[in-house]
Amino acid sequence: MVNAINTKNLNVYYGDQQAIHNISLDFLKNKVTALIGPSGCGKSTFLRCLNRMNDVIDICRVEGNISLNGMDIYSKEIEVEHLREKIGMVFQKPNPFPKSIYDNVAYGPRIHGFTDKKEEMDLIVETSLKKAGLFEEVKDRLEDMGTSLSGGQQQRLCIARAIAIKPEVILMDEPCSALDPIATSIIEELITDLKKSYTIIIVTHSMQQAARVSDKTAFFHLGNLIEEGDTSKIFTKPDHQKTNDYITGRFG
Amino acid sequence: MFYSVLTLFVLSFIGFYLGKRKSIKLSQNIKLASLPSYYGYLAMLYILIPTLIAWFVLLVGENFVLEKYLFLILKEFLISMSGSEVQLFFIKIKNLSEGASFGNESDLELLGAQKIIQFKNLFLLLTYLVIFLVTAIALYLVNKKISPTFKSQRHVEKIVNLFIQLCSYIAILITVGIFLSLVFETINFFGYVNPLDFLFGINWNPNKAFVIDSSDVIDKDILKDAFGIIPLMTGTLLVAFLAMLVSIPLGLMSAIYLAEYAPKKIRDISKPVIEILAGIPTVVYGFFAALVVAPKIADLGEYIGLDVSSESALAAGLTMGVMIIPFVSSLSDDVIGAVPQSLRDGSYALGATKSETIIKVILPSALPGIIGSFLLAISRAIGETMIVVMAASLQANLTINPLEPTTTITTQIVTALTGDTEFDNPKTLVAFALGLTLFFATLLLNYFALRTVKKYREQYD
Amino acid sequence: MTNLAKRKKAELRFRFYGIFSVFLSLLFVAILIFNICSSGIGGFYKTIFLTSIHFDQKLLNLEDNASEEQIRNASFRKLIKNNFDESFKDYSKDEIKQIKKLFYRKIDIELKNFLINNPEFLNKTTKVELTASTHIDQIHKGNFDRTVQEKHRKVNNFQLEIYDKFVEDQKVKKVWNSTYFTSGDSRDPESAGVASSVMGSVFTILICFLLSFPIAIFASIYLQEFAKAGKITDLIEININNLAAVPSIIFGLLGLGILLNFFGLPRSTALVGGIVLSFMTLPTIIVACRSSLRAVPPSIREAALALGATKNQVVFHHVLPLAMPGTLTGTIIGLARAIGETAPLLMIGMVAFIMDIPSNPLEPAVGMPAQIYLWSESSERGFIEKTSSAIILLLMFLIVVNFVSVYFRKKYEKKW
Repeated sequence: MVNAINTKNLNVYYGDQQAIHNISLDFLKNKVTALIGPSGCGKSTFLRCLNRMNDVIDICRVEGNISLNGMDIYSKEIEVEHLREKIGMVFQKPNPFPKSIYDNVAYGPRIHGFTDKKEEMDLIVETSLKKAGLFEEVKDRLEDMGTSLSGGQQQRLCIARAIAIKPEVILMDEPCSALDPIATSIIEELITDLKKSYTIIIVTHSMQQAARVSDKTAFFHLGNLIEEGDTSKIFTKPDHQKTNDYITGRFG
Repeated sequence: MFYSVLTLFVLSFIGFYLGKRKSIKLSQNIKLASLPSYYGYLAMLYILIPTLIAWFVLLVGENFVLEKYLFLILKEFLISMSGSEVQLFFIKIKNLSEGASFGNESDLELLGAQKIIQFKNLFLLLTYLVIFLVTAIALYLVNKKISPTFKSQRHVEKIVNLFIQLCSYIAILITVGIFLSLVFETINFFGYVNPLDFLFGINWNPNKAFVIDSSDVIDKDILKDAFGIIPLMTGTLLVAFLAMLVSIPLGLMSAIYLAEYAPKKIRDISKPVIEILAGIPTVVYGFFAALVVAPKIADLGEYIGLDVSSESALAAGLTMGVMIIPFVSSLSDDVIGAVPQSLRDGSYALGATKSETIIKVILPSALPGIIGSFLLAISRAIGETMIVVMAASLQANLTINPLEPTTTITTQIVTALTGDTEFDNPKTLVAFALGLTLFFATLLLNYFALRTVKKYREQYD
Repeated sequence: MTNLAKRKKAELRFRFYGIFSVFLSLLFVAILIFNICSSGIGGFYKTIFLTSIHFDQKLLNLEDNASEEQIRNASFRKLIKNNFDESFKDYSKDEIKQIKKLFYRKIDIELKNFLINNPEFLNKTTKVELTASTHIDQIHKGNFDRTVQEKHRKVNNFQLEIYDKFVEDQKVKKVWNSTYFTSGDSRDPESAGVASSVMGSVFTILICFLLSFPIAIFASIYLQEFAKAGKITDLIEININNLAAVPSIIFGLLGLGILLNFFGLPRSTALVGGIVLSFMTLPTIIVACRSSLRAVPPSIREAALALGATKNQVVFHHVLPLAMPGTLTGTIIGLARAIGETAPLLMIGMVAFIMDIPSNPLEPAVGMPAQIYLWSESSERGFIEKTSSAIILLLMFLIVVNFVSVYFRKKYEKKW
């Protein structure tokens, strides 16, 4: 079992408010780890640290250690653009660019200079869309606007877009919360498939979803990591009372 | 006439007092349907509205009737005079009647002035009479109406609502007014000059129209190539183009920098300071353009070896560009700010740099809005007057060379109307034809601009 | 260079363009302001000569204890000639004539006013400050190029000699130019002032405000609170948006065509100017008022309605007062724009030579921007300075207006 990402003594502050309290959490390679917990407990904040998306927010201060494959992601040698090639992200509300489906997927490879040959780019786009389970549905209309797709399709497009730049880790921030049950189940199936090639960390509000797709689960509460472990254990015999209260619906 | 309007206001207030008093008197034993003030307001409105309307009608009518009256009274003297002489005569006796005397007026002119004064006094008397009569009728009617069961408040509120509704129609009225005044005089103008010669003529030389002899017969052939609008259009577009060369890159890049890169402190200071450029009156820009920019450009040209006119389109265009920078900047800023953060996040998460995100994601999605703001800026540049009047030339010149002098539509409107020629001359009337052209051009630009911006906003709703 | 390094370089370049643009724009502001200020500051001062004048009553044909009326009717020319001849005994007649040209040509009026204000000096000798000519004024302020050939100059070598001598004898001073603030337009830069144009602007803006403010508010109330959605309401809204984007000169043509030609209102007056400007300001105030009305929370309206108020009462007693601060801010912005407008006023004739200060809106007047325009057309150097001074005054006024509006906005910005 190899660790893809390690975090150690992570503390995150928004201005004077502390959002994450001293979290140390490791993520196994090619496994799906779910982050669960009630609203506002810091799951998304934590997730956004992993690909340094919190750099975009001025008042956010990150202290502690995060490393990808042993390398500190905040070290001076690492360019954040490179980091994000390795760690991709899918957001809560699907956010395809107002460009064609093709251009949405090709955007990442283009800016990272993967290729300038059309045939090779076509292949990248096709492969990514296939891996995201969308190709069959859109293969005849790749020039259509990405925003013309249904919600579930848009989200799969965003996944294809993230995959196209060949990441090692895919971060998913409540990817199904804006989707209907059928679209949700399609994506959950996809996740189970994707973990063969990628490490997946998924924040989810739905415990059922966490139980369905993840191998490991971490329970957050008020910015603290309360408990983490195998999913089956967390949901049947958790060690902490708080965890138990959450999964049994005593609070949420 | 001023005191008469004051009188009617005073009468209305008296009406208010009377109405209120009566209602209080009636309320001794019975409860009133509305507060006493509302009976007062009713009385006041019943007086104010009819008298105001009557006063207005009389004010407008006075001028019409005055001319007719003068024609009637002085008919035998005026027959021998030409149309323009009559106009001059009227102006003279009008000024005379207001006290502007040089001491060498003819008896006829003195008589004319006297008649005017007599007429005006009579009319004033009539006005007061009408006001008092209407007031009396109004008071009588209101008196009959006031009773404890009469729901005065409802009535008053209905009248108020009608009034504010009319106020909102004023916007339409203004547009109609603009349209009428422009179209009317333009039609007059087209009586002298063929519309096709106007729209497609390439010669602009209004001084030709000076050759109008005293018999008021205008030789249409001379006017044929005196009023061609094409050189004015090229001049206007040239200056606007130069202005856009300055304002679009600077305005857009400033907006991008301040919206996406600048720390809060720099943004908080820079934005208001750039806005100052928008608050400076255009006459100041014109002064600056004529006195500082134009000579410097001419000197620079000499230094390089180019022949630059001191009234070059470049001077006016560059200065106008500076004036429009805040316009482009703030509109672009709004548009860029409206792009949802999720799009930016999506791009950053893929490892794009800030400039890549801006150029490849934000600007393309904000494009309709930005184009809309460019169109609005162009519309502003086309309609700008003072900078070009003071810095550009009065000579029409069909050229695209920015170093040459050229004139614009707005400059010619000003020159046409600040000269000494009287009103019926095509030289003066052309101002309205030009105005109509300008009105349509800016209207079209604004329509397209707003439509593009609207379409863009719908993308995100 | 690796791909990422190239991209990073592009990023830096792009960022630089952004900073450069902002910097350039700020630079333009600075250049404009600096230029105007440096050329205009001088206009607030005027150069005077310290002279010693003997008010010989015989030359003035005045009795002892002459009344003000008598002094006003007296001719001071002989007095001036006599004083000059005495002071410059050693110079020829022709030379004395040239020395006279160093002074403002209307010093006889200045002496007259001096004597009227200080009648005790009749038949006595005293020091009097007399205004220098506009050329000397410019020389003393350093705006004059002495190296130009004599025949191209307005002041010849002899006159320069005399001027230099005066300077040596400390007889030349710069004093505060109060006439600039108290007098109207004039053919001479020495006596030109902004008083008439300031009053002209004041009247114009007053009329503009009195007309546009109430009508705009009533229209906004109707559109925002009462109007039912429909074709007419849409039409009104489209019209308002259009009017906000029409070039200002068109409103001038409207004023000319309808107000002057059709209604026959007096040309060149602040009344007509104010009406024309109110057409322009109306849409601005309506937009501001409507958004302020929209911002008032429904909870306040519901509370008033629940107490039994009619809709009119809710709007006029509760909603409108709360919307006032925002409306006033928009009004101030609209009026500030109107103050600086020139083109529409040119159309209705407010661009004449106005010497007298107008006392009511029905007298011929000229506004500050139009005065600036008129003065800038003159080629006299003295007028260039005066124009810049007028611009300084106008800009200062606009800055004050803007600060007031920002202050009001910050103070009354309610957080619901």
